[in-house]
Amino acid sequence: MKPKNLLLAEDDPMLASLLKFRLEKEGYTVTLMPDGKAVKECLTTTLPDAIISDVMMPYFSGIELVDYLRNELNSKIPIILISTASNEENIINALKMGANDFLAKPISPTELLIRVNREIERQQIS
Amino acid sequence: MLAFLLKQTLKNEVLDLDTRELLMHLSKLENGLDRYSFTELNTNEANRLKKSFESFKNGLEEKVFGMPTPEPVEVSLKNKKVKSKPLEDHSMIAKVSHEIRTPLNGIVGFIDLLKETELSPKQQELIKALDTASGNLTDIINELLEFSKLASGHETFENVPFNLKNLITEVAFLCETLITDSQVELSVHLDKNLPEQLLGDPSKLSQILLNLLGNAVKFVEKGKISLEAVLKSDQQNRVYVEFLVADTGIGIANDKLQRIFESYKQAEDDTQLKYGGSGLGLSIVKELVDRMDGLIAVKSALGAGSTFKVTLPFEKTKKQDIALPKRPGKSVPRSLKHAKILVFEDNVLNQQLMENRLKSWGCKPFITDNGLYGLQLLENHEFDLVLMDLRMPKMNGFQITECIRQNRHDHIRTVPIIALTADFSIADKEYCKRIGITDYILKPYNADELQRTMQELIAEREKQSEREISQINIGQASALINLNLLYEECMGEKDTLTELIQLFKKNMYEFIGNVRMHLTNNDSRGIGFAVHKIKSSLKMLEATTLAQICSKLTEASDAAAYEALEKYYKQFLNEYPKVEEAIDIELNKL
Repeated sequence: MKPKNLLLAEDDPMLASLLKFRLEKEGYTVTLMPDGKAVKECLTTTLPDAIISDVMMPYFSGIELVDYLRNELNSKIPIILISTASNEENIINALKMGANDFLAKPISPTELLIRVNREIERQQIS
Repeated sequence: MLAFLLKQTLKNEVLDLDTRELLMHLSKLENGLDRYSFTELNTNEANRLKKSFESFKNGLEEKVFGMPTPEPVEVSLKNKKVKSKPLEDHSMIAKVSHEIRTPLNGIVGFIDLLKETELSPKQQELIKALDTASGNLTDIINELLEFSKLASGHETFENVPFNLKNLITEVAFLCETLITDSQVELSVHLDKNLPEQLLGDPSKLSQILLNLLGNAVKFVEKGKISLEAVLKSDQQNRVYVEFLVADTGIGIANDKLQRIFESYKQAEDDTQLKYGGSGLGLSIVKELVDRMDGLIAVKSALGAGSTFKVTLPFEKTKKQDIALPKRPGKSVPRSLKHAKILVFEDNVLNQQLMENRLKSWGCKPFITDNGLYGLQLLENHEFDLVLMDLRMPKMNGFQITECIRQNRHDHIRTVPIIALTADFSIADKEYCKRIGITDYILKPYNADELQRTMQELIAEREKQSEREISQINIGQASALINLNLLYEECMGEKDTLTELIQLFKKNMYEFIGNVRMHLTNNDSRGIGFAVHKIKSSLKMLEATTLAQICSKLTEASDAAAYEALEKYYKQFLNEYPKVEEAIDIELNKL
């Protein structure tokens, strides 16, 4: 089976590398993005199998990204947000707008793996 | 515009002299403002100044147009002989003066803040003019308020134990600060037979003495002023004390002496022009003395100076009433220099006294009687200590204390608060603690005691904050960070861990550089973002000390408190190398 492509947008390089490392161990191909704007640009050429994105990013927030993906590109690919727990209102908005899942920081890479796997599986069934 | 408004609406026989006085000062303020070069002024400050004036104006309009008048305005304008109802008048004046005073204090406060900014010599001169004019206006309004409160019977008199000698010392100290000419000399004499403690109203007594001394200072250009307190009679549980305030000033002509205590009368009509003041000072004194069941008399001749004699009864205290809490004599003379002190105090005399005291100790005092304004100051400046008068109009000291203790910012919430009060019920440590007051000083306070308490609290707080940060440092590297969690997440692959650690370090260097840049640009939001970006990494490495500093940085960036940002940034710079060292040590152990 062809490996699934993931886009990972996280501006903390250490956390991003750690997540990439763990996701690759799990068999995914991971492309790192430094901020939301880069993700947006990337999406104009290819769509990944899933997106994992921090909410608070310079230029283009995770929420804006959900909006762009669901309402402009009309894409249903899974998107999982990472956020500080205090951003409750934002999270609710993001979920309403069509985000699939979210994880509160500090995040556990193992938990992220489980959630990414679940979303990819759901995608395959439907 | 203001002046016109006042002229049109406040035309009232009783107020006439004071209205004119008010008008004069207002137009001075107005002129000063007109000439002020706002372009050279920081927009923010200019806005605040403008806002302050707006609310002053609006408050006045509201009071003047919105207040219930005993009779329709038209009638009173046509009919010159409207009978005024003294009681209503007085409470009206009290209300109006109070409403005027609040925004005026704002103006004075902002002028003070303006003075601290960089100003051209021309601007300094104009600010000084504004300062003097608003200061005079404040004095007049306060006298007016004081008098109307007294005359309307709203004023309450306390009956609390106080130290007479301390009170006289304070009064003399304040009087000294009023004397600007070295050719005037003040001497104080206290009767040895006077009891140390008395029961009565110390703040009213101070007011009487300060008014008399203030008058003397005003009318003596060269010569002597003396204050004397004598035990006149000592009965079973009551003493009569005679206070003599004498000066070698211009004196008062015999025919004018008769009306000297009448309200709104000064000896000569031109006295006001030459010496300023509302002419209410002596009326206030007379009113106060009457209400305290005392006697006042004056002896004077033109050119031969004046002597005022006030005799007042006081109750004696039972010795055990005054078990003033003695502090352990920790004489660590730590300087209070540059300590920023916020003072909540509504009594103008006390304000002035406190300001002089604090400045003489090298402190930087900020004084206000406005709870909200003070709380705003706390948000914008980092204060070392708060002095709190518990009894204040609008928001009282308890309410302000509550607001401070509930503040979301650590450095505000934990600021030491010393309550200044004449109320003995505060002398209960448990109660103080419960309401959030760190310590208390009983009024009239002893300056040494205040200084000592302030020094102790400030030193203690400094130690505390150093301790907070360094507490964990004392331990070995393993106490600073913990790599186990991250190592586990790397599935035990050391190469990955090493790579992540490299990224972490790079991230930290970037952070340090970014924050420095944001500080230079006064970009507190940028700092907030930068901190947010490194938070998860710090948590993953369990770098508790750095995480602690970072949450302080977040707080400070939310409040745009630049002094605090600088401070915590420096702490971060101090702390980071230790953490990095610890990381390397721990990494080698794996």
